[in-house]
This record gives sequence, C-alpha cells and structure tokens, in this order.
Amino acid sequence: MTVQGTNSAIRVGASILRDYLVLVMIAALVALTALIEPKFLSPENLTNIMFQFGPLMMVALGTTFVIIGGFIDLSIAGTINLVAVVTISLIQPMGQVPALLTGLATGTVCGALNSVLILSSGALTQAEALFMTFGLSTVYSAIALLYSHGSTMHFWDITASKSIFQAIGSGSLGFLSWSFVIFLISLAALWVFQEMTAEGRAVRLTGGNKTAARLAGVRISRSIVVIYAIGGFMAALGAIVLFSRVTTASPVIGVGYETNAILAVVVGGTTLKGGKGSVLRTVMGVLLVVLMSNCLNLLGVSTYLQVVAEGAILTFAIWLDNRKHM
Amino acid sequence: MNGTGKGATLYKILTKQKALIAILVMLIGMLFSHSNFYSAFNLLQMLSSTSILLILAFGVTLTIIAGGCDLSIGGIMVVAGIVSIKLMNAGMPMGLAIFLAILFGTVVGFVNGFLAVHQKTEPFIITLGIGLLLTGVAQQLTNAHPVPAQNPSFMMIGNGYFHGVPNLVIIMLVLFALTYWLMRYTEFGRNLYAIGGDYEVARYSGIDVIRTKWLAFVISGTMAALAGVLLSSELNTGSAVYGETTALVVNCGVVVGGTSFAGGIGGIPQSALGLLVFGLLGNSMNMLNISSYFQIMLQGAVIVAIIWLDSYAQKRKREAV
Amino acid sequence: MDSGGSEVILSIKDVCKSFPGVKALDKVSIDVKRAMVHGIVGENGAGKSTLMKILSGVYEKDSGTVVFDGQQIEHTTPQQSMQRGLAIIYQELNLVNTMSVGENVLLGRFREMKGMRGTHAKARELLDRIGSKIGTTRLVSELSVSEKQMVEIAKALSFESKLIIMDEPSSSLTAEEMCELVKIIQQLKDQGISIIYISHKLDEIFEFCDNVSVMRDGRVIDTKPKSEFTRNELIMQMVGREIENEYPERPQRVGEVLMEVRSINTRKLHDVSFSLHKGEILGFVGLVGAGRTEIVRALFGADRVRGHQVLIEGKPTPILNPRDAIGAGFGFIPEDRKLQGLVLPFSVESNISMASFRKFTRLGFLRKSIEKEIGTRQVKALSVKTPSTKVPVVNLSGGNQQKCIVGRWLEISPSILIMDEPTKGIDVGAKYEIYMLMKDIAERGGAIILISSELPEVLNMSNRVLTVFEGRITGEFDPKVTSADKIMSAALGFDGECS
Repeated sequence: MTVQGTNSAIRVGASILRDYLVLVMIAALVALTALIEPKFLSPENLTNIMFQFGPLMMVALGTTFVIIGGFIDLSIAGTINLVAVVTISLIQPMGQVPALLTGLATGTVCGALNSVLILSSGALTQAEALFMTFGLSTVYSAIALLYSHGSTMHFWDITASKSIFQAIGSGSLGFLSWSFVIFLISLAALWVFQEMTAEGRAVRLTGGNKTAARLAGVRISRSIVVIYAIGGFMAALGAIVLFSRVTTASPVIGVGYETNAILAVVVGGTTLKGGKGSVLRTVMGVLLVVLMSNCLNLLGVSTYLQVVAEGAILTFAIWLDNRKHM
Repeated sequence: MNGTGKGATLYKILTKQKALIAILVMLIGMLFSHSNFYSAFNLLQMLSSTSILLILAFGVTLTIIAGGCDLSIGGIMVVAGIVSIKLMNAGMPMGLAIFLAILFGTVVGFVNGFLAVHQKTEPFIITLGIGLLLTGVAQQLTNAHPVPAQNPSFMMIGNGYFHGVPNLVIIMLVLFALTYWLMRYTEFGRNLYAIGGDYEVARYSGIDVIRTKWLAFVISGTMAALAGVLLSSELNTGSAVYGETTALVVNCGVVVGGTSFAGGIGGIPQSALGLLVFGLLGNSMNMLNISSYFQIMLQGAVIVAIIWLDSYAQKRKREAV
Repeated sequence: MDSGGSEVILSIKDVCKSFPGVKALDKVSIDVKRAMVHGIVGENGAGKSTLMKILSGVYEKDSGTVVFDGQQIEHTTPQQSMQRGLAIIYQELNLVNTMSVGENVLLGRFREMKGMRGTHAKARELLDRIGSKIGTTRLVSELSVSEKQMVEIAKALSFESKLIIMDEPSSSLTAEEMCELVKIIQQLKDQGISIIYISHKLDEIFEFCDNVSVMRDGRVIDTKPKSEFTRNELIMQMVGREIENEYPERPQRVGEVLMEVRSINTRKLHDVSFSLHKGEILGFVGLVGAGRTEIVRALFGADRVRGHQVLIEGKPTPILNPRDAIGAGFGFIPEDRKLQGLVLPFSVESNISMASFRKFTRLGFLRKSIEKEIGTRQVKALSVKTPSTKVPVVNLSGGNQQKCIVGRWLEISPSILIMDEPTKGIDVGAKYEIYMLMKDIAERGGAIILISSELPEVLNMSNRVLTVFEGRITGEFDPKVTSADKIMSAALGFDGECS
C-alpha cells in the first residue's frame, strides 16, 4: 500500500510538473538569458518583446478555440496575407476606420468560409480539416497576390490619415503599447467566452465528443462556425497589428504564422485531442515561443536555426501531449 | 434518399474515378486550345516535370494506405537535395554523396515511424512538425540562398536522356513498377492494406503491425530523399524554397487518385493518376499563359474540392442507413 | 458420463480471474472432448466472455491451469493460440472490410501462400470444405453477417484448428442462416473438430450440443451431456434465483396514444409505422442489425432520414435533427455509452447538464450555480456513486455512468425516452435501479421505447413488444400473454424448423 501511495504521489507530482512545465521553462529561460545576456532585462528589450509577441499572440488566441473544438486551421497564413493587403490598400480610398472594419470582416468571412466547407462535406476529423484549410490558405494567398499584383505596399505611400495604425504599430498608452492593450482586451473577451458563455461550453463539448454532444442537442455545427470565425477574426487582428508594426504589407506577410500558432497553443498545453485547454495556456505558450526566439536572437543564433528549434519544440510538444492524453 | 438510379451511378463514378475524369476533361479541353500541348515534346516534358512529384507520391501512398500520412516529405526532399550538393561541392564522390543524402531520408523516415507508429502520435500533425524542423535545417544549411552544384555529371542525372526518354521519367517508371510490385505482390504490401483497413484485426491476425507500418514511413522518407536528390540534379541547385507546399500537394494528390485517408484502399497506379492531375493542370495552365498567381489559386481550389469530395463520400458511407 | 471414451482436447482446471472489485471467474473447470460440440450457457455477465478471452490470450488468468491438446498453456497470445489450433470467432467479427474474402481468410500469410493466386486457391479450398459458395475475390464489406461468419470459420480452418470457439454466433443470424450454421457445425464435428458454442439461447443448445456447461456469477454450476438436462433444470441453473425479483412490475397506467410514426423508409428500413401510448414501455425485439437502432435513430433525427411522418398528440412534428427531437419532448440514451453518450473527460455535472443548457443560461451566459444544482439534484435523485459532481465521468463505474445519462434526460422531463441497450455492461444491482427508473418515468405519464438484446429484459419490462426483422416490423405482441418463443420466431423472420 505504501509503495502504491508513494507511486501515486510521484505520479501526481509528475502530472503537476507536466501541467506547469511551460511556466517552469519560461522561468528557466528568463533566468538563463538574463544571466548570459544582461541586456535581456533592459527596458528596451522588454518593450521590444511586448511589440514582438503581438501578432502571434492574436493569431494563437484565435487558434486555441479551433483546437479546443477538435479541429485545426492552416488557413491562417492565407487569411493574414489577404487581410493585410486588403486593409492597407483601403486606407487611402476609404479612410482608416472603414479599412480597419473591412479588414476584420474579411478575416471573419475567411474563417467562416472554412467552416462552411468543412461542415458541408461532413469532414469530422482533424486530418480532413487540416488539408482543407491548407487548400483554402493557398486560395486566400492567391487572392492576396492577385489583388496586390504581388507587390508590397508601404505606409509612406499613404497620404490619408493612418493614425490608428501608427498607434497600433508603435504607440503607447502609458507604459503599455497599444498592441498590448488590444491583446489584454482580446484575452479578457475570449476568456469570458471560454469560461462563462453557453457557446463557449458548446465548443468544449463539441471538441470533447462530437457525437455525444450532437445527440444531447448541442448545436455542433454552430460551434464549428463560431470557432473558425473567431480564428479568422483574430487572424485579421493579428494581421493588422503585424503590418502596423512593420509599416508594410506584402502578400506573403503571414507565412509561417499558422504553424507557429499551433506550436504556441500546443506548447501551452491545450491538447490536440480537443475539449480541453485555455486561452491562458496559449498566452504561456506564445510567451515561451517569443522569449525563446528573443533569447536566441540575443545569443546571436541565426533565424534559420530558430526555425529548427521551433520545429523541434513543436514535435516534442505534440509527442508529450499525446503521451499525456493516451 | 433512395440512392438508386442513374444519379447514384453517376455519383459513384464521379467519386471513384475523379482523377481519371479530371484528366480526361483537361485532355479534351486542351484539344481546343490551339497550343503546343499535344506535341510529343510537351507531353514528355510534362511527364518529366511531374516525375519528382510522382516519386514522392509513391512513398506517401504506402503511409496513407496504412492509415497514416507523411507531411514531412517536403522537408526531407529539400534537405536531401541540399545535402547531396553540399557534400559533392566539398569534394565527396557523387555516388557516396547521393547515398548519404538518401540515407538521411531513411533516418528521418525512421524517426517519423517511431513517433507516428511506435508512439502512436497523430501522424499528420507530427510529420508536419518534422517538416517544419527540416525546413529550418534547409534554410540553415543554405543560409536561405540556392546552392549551385559544381559537378556537371550530377546535372546529367536529372536532365539527361536515355534513348530519347528523359532519365527522370525512366527512374520514375522503375520506382512505379517497384512500389506497385511491393504493394500488390508482397506480403509486406498486403499487410499494409490490412493494417490500414483494420488495425486491430491485422494485429490479432499475427501481423507485426508496428514494424510493418513503421517500415512504410521509412520507405516514404527514403523515396522523398531520392526525389530531393533528383530535383536538385534537375535544377542543378539545392534550395530551401521548393519544399514548402510540396508535402501537402503530394498528400492531396494521392487522395485524388482514390487512396483515402481512412486507410486500406487505393494503390500506386491510383496515386500516379492523382498526381498527373496536378502535373497536367500546371502544364495546361502554362500552355494557356495563365498567370502564376491564378495558377496558385486554381491549385488551392482543386485541393479543397478534392478533400471536400473525399470527406463527402465518407460522410455518405457513414450515413448510408 | 459420456461412454464414447473420446479423449479430452481442452481441459480447464480451477481457473480464477479477478478485475478490480469483481471476481470474474471463480475456480472454473471444464473439459471439452474431441469432435464434440460443447455448449456453454449463462446470462450476460456470467463470465463466459472472460473465460474465452483467457483461452485466446487476450487476458492473463490469475491462477489455475489450461491444457490444450496435451500442452499446458501459459502466457499465450491470440496468434499463438490460433497457431496451436484454437480459434475464436467473436461476436464482433474480426475481418478487414476493405479486403477480399480470400485475403481475409489467410490474413498475414501471403508469403506462405505463395502470392495472390495461392491465397485465393487455398481460401477456395477452405470455403469448399464448409460448403460455402462465397467468391473469394469479393470484398468483405459487401457480405452479409452470416457470410462473414463463414469467412471466419474458413479462417479458423486455415490454422488446422482442433477447437473452434463460437461466441454468440446466432445473435445476428436469421433463421435460415442459422440452419446453414448448424449444418456447418455438424460437418466440422465430422472432420474431428471440437466446438465450444457459447449462447444464452436454450433452443440452440438443445438442438446440437453434445455436452453443456452452465455458468453463473463466474462459476461453472454444472457440466453434463445434453440428454441429462431438462429445459427447466437448465433455466433454473442459469438464473439461479427466483426470476420474479429481477424485474419490477410493469408500469400500470397506459393511457391514450401519445405519438404516431408513419412510414420510415431508408435503405435499411421498410415502411416502419407504429404508435406509442402515454405511460407505456414499448419494447423492440430483433436480431442485432435487424434495424432496431436505425428506427430509433431515425425517429430522434440522429440519421438523415426524410419522408416519414411523426405525429405527437395528433400534431405533425417534423424532426430533422436531435435538437428538434429534444424540443418535441424526446430523450435518447444511445447504444454506446462511451462513444455516443458521454464526454468522458468532462465532469459528472457537465455531462448531466448537457441537454438542459436553456435552464442555466441567461443571455448566452452560463449560470454555474444553477448548473451545479442540476448536477447535485440528479446525482442525489439517481443515487449516482461519485465523490463529487466535479469528478470526470470516466472515473465512474458503468452503471453510474449510465445513470448520469439518464439524469441528463430526467432533468428536462422528456415525454418520450428512447433507451437503446440501457443495461449493457452494468451490474445486476444497477440494472434493477435502472428498471425502477423506467417504471417511474412511465408511471408519471412518460413513454419509453426500449431496445435490448436481452430478451427477458424486454419481455418483463414492456407493456407491448414490436418485433423487427430485416428492417420491417413483423409483429406486435403483448408479452404478458404471448410466449417468448412466439415473439422470438417473429423476430427471426419465420418459425420454420431447419430443412
């Protein structure tokens, strides 16, 4: 009995450690980097990090629900490409507020379109969703290329007022950047959705067991539309934050975001098996990914090796996720 | 809902033979195009340029029939190509360089198999991760710039002809025959079908399911590396950019042919047809001077349509009450 | 005992097996003789399946010995026992649907058969041995259940089996197909092969078994030649206690017509029409795969079915999906608790509250205190054994899990509750509690549609029974006055003897 007791204590301890592995890793990473490179904790670098994680954070927050709902979204890259070129091109003719709204609407529509195609085909598995959203990503990207004729658009070409975008890109409210404020608002809204609304619960149930949820009267089709629409909206928000920061929008600006978002979500501890997870975990995941890349930057590691590291962490995180939920 | 009559038959043909139908439609369409599409040169050229994709597809087919899939082939392909060129440029004999590059693919396939089969991780997502990792490796190796090959005889592998037929086509046909034989006439192949059809039944029947399915991933990785070597020979450069969408296109192409993600059905000839759809599509669009952006869009749309049809067919099967 | 002096092929001695909390097998001893058909009877949960799984190597026994063909068997695997000549044909058939008949018969032995041609030739030979005409190149997915069973038997023969165990082979066979099976069993016996035939249908046992063992509560009660058993004795031994205590009395207050269903037609169902009364338990009896589940799924809107008519209290009520059904007053307890009923990693509370969102949401926001009340109320009302309502439902026992699903529906007080195999895999005590709940629901004016593969359950609980055969309703009976035999033969399609 005592052996069993110790065993289970160890198991509980191990599971807690695994659950908060991200936090431990973040702490370790911060400590290590600060030790090697004191510049890491300088105000400039911290501000830099704050701006750096904006776009990925938005995108990953949206992707969280798609994954909690038991699906996956590779169309994010295409959505970002499209939203970025559409929004930036409309500032001049339409004014910045309509441009902003059109951009957000475009992203939401792209997301909803994913779900409509998935639902109409009756695709229920992650694999089917993965391939279908990949195809759609290609389509969205191609539309972005056709729309922009493949050229990059710059802020300095815009003579109309673009104050909102400039504020998002580099402005601050007190010591917080505007993009950080947007992040806080989005996080709060999505957390409320996740924890306190009926639809948030329906999404979880859908991810937990689609068949059982449907037979209990849960509107799983609506949940699927909602998760992809949120995914698209947040991708659009991410696109806007992104091009505002770099002050240019190219039709390939979003490449890599889809995998990085999945990476952040899974690293944070939301399981790919659906049903479980949280936007708060995703925040951790994004923090870890961004801190790691910042740390590698400071240490002078090439960006290409960073991709290698990301791939390795993604693979490891997926493997760990699978072990945890076997 | 009474699924009888002509409508149902037509539907069955459409879903089962979608690749063949798509090819026929394109071939007929091109009759009216007043282009050089039907010249022997163009057709051979098309076959040659599709060969690499076909070789990738033959390997991937094994994993999909076994109930998995392999999205790391794009990464394996580019890294293997770069490795072979870099090794040769560093003075290694061509044969050894190629051998090592292909061996690299075998090793990655082995790792894929370990994760996806032995550890039972969802194959599509884990191979996607490995693919991402390899893309990083490729960029690191090349510093994101193409690496030209300095060995002229290497270039001849991918660009030479044998009795008027491009080498690539010949290699592709040999691999076609080999994998076809493997899947059709060997116990390994038949066991893969059984594993994809019903994993548990295969296990209870005494098939070493893990080793067999694992081997499918190893073969897929090896063939992807071979395709990578051929691609870098054809282009005479090694570059990190070609691999980005290749993996997804090839996996989709295999499904177009009629090999389903559900596992257990399909085959090498079907995959060949499926990939020919993409080859033919690209070639026809080039012949018709369609803009490259529009080509990308069409390719994406075709993928969506195919996966949609595959899912819909499975839904129909599920709902056949 | 048997004077034939035939030697023993399989000897099971004092085999015990425990699972956490349950003693599944308690000193089980059975001897099976060569070229004999040995029947094992017992109710569900008597330990028959556990014993078979130990023989095949799926489970490891705790103690005791198994001697097969003179060899003591320890730590075996399914493949090893098959190669030794002990084959099992499970209820859920073990065939690869996407492959051909021939390849299935010789699965995993392609090289041994020297390729495709050899495989098909050998399969043909084996099928011929049992007089089956199934083409070896046909896909298994196109075969009927009985044809699949033939393929399984051929597969068993391919290992030169000395003993074939058939686990409830008749549960999805029509009467005609059953006759075929009897002939084949006779042929196998003539070829010197022993058969263990597991069933809970006494007719079959009396028809062709040589020896019979009765199992109950993990023990072998008796083993004798068939001729020494009387029917009543067998039943007594199987049940072991007064049958009256197993079921509560049927609900008493059957009222006027509540629902009328008119002409459900699908590929599998043909012109299914029936009515349901208030306060009634309506039982569906039929073979597995006869269409019972399909009927209720169609009714509940779980499958895409169009063109039928449902009238509730005389009003046409279109039901296109489960939501419509729930709105119209239906509740549905699906066949497969784990795959279709529960969200296993979720809490007891959220599994119970799943169907009553409307009760605890306001303006789209959850009111968790009310949800908690719902959970607590149902856990208490159904005496679900759980440390708290926040525990993941996966940690509960089968019976308590099922109660959570019942509670889910009780919370919205449905007027029609569909129960598909509600007592599958749950222990006797919990079963009785479920029966009491059913009675309670009916007596409060609700109506229940009950599907169960356990005939006594349907016959003892229902006010009225409909038999389903090959997608058609073939009869309507009052189980109080009709014999079980008569109902069963209607469910088997005809009441003929084997020709």
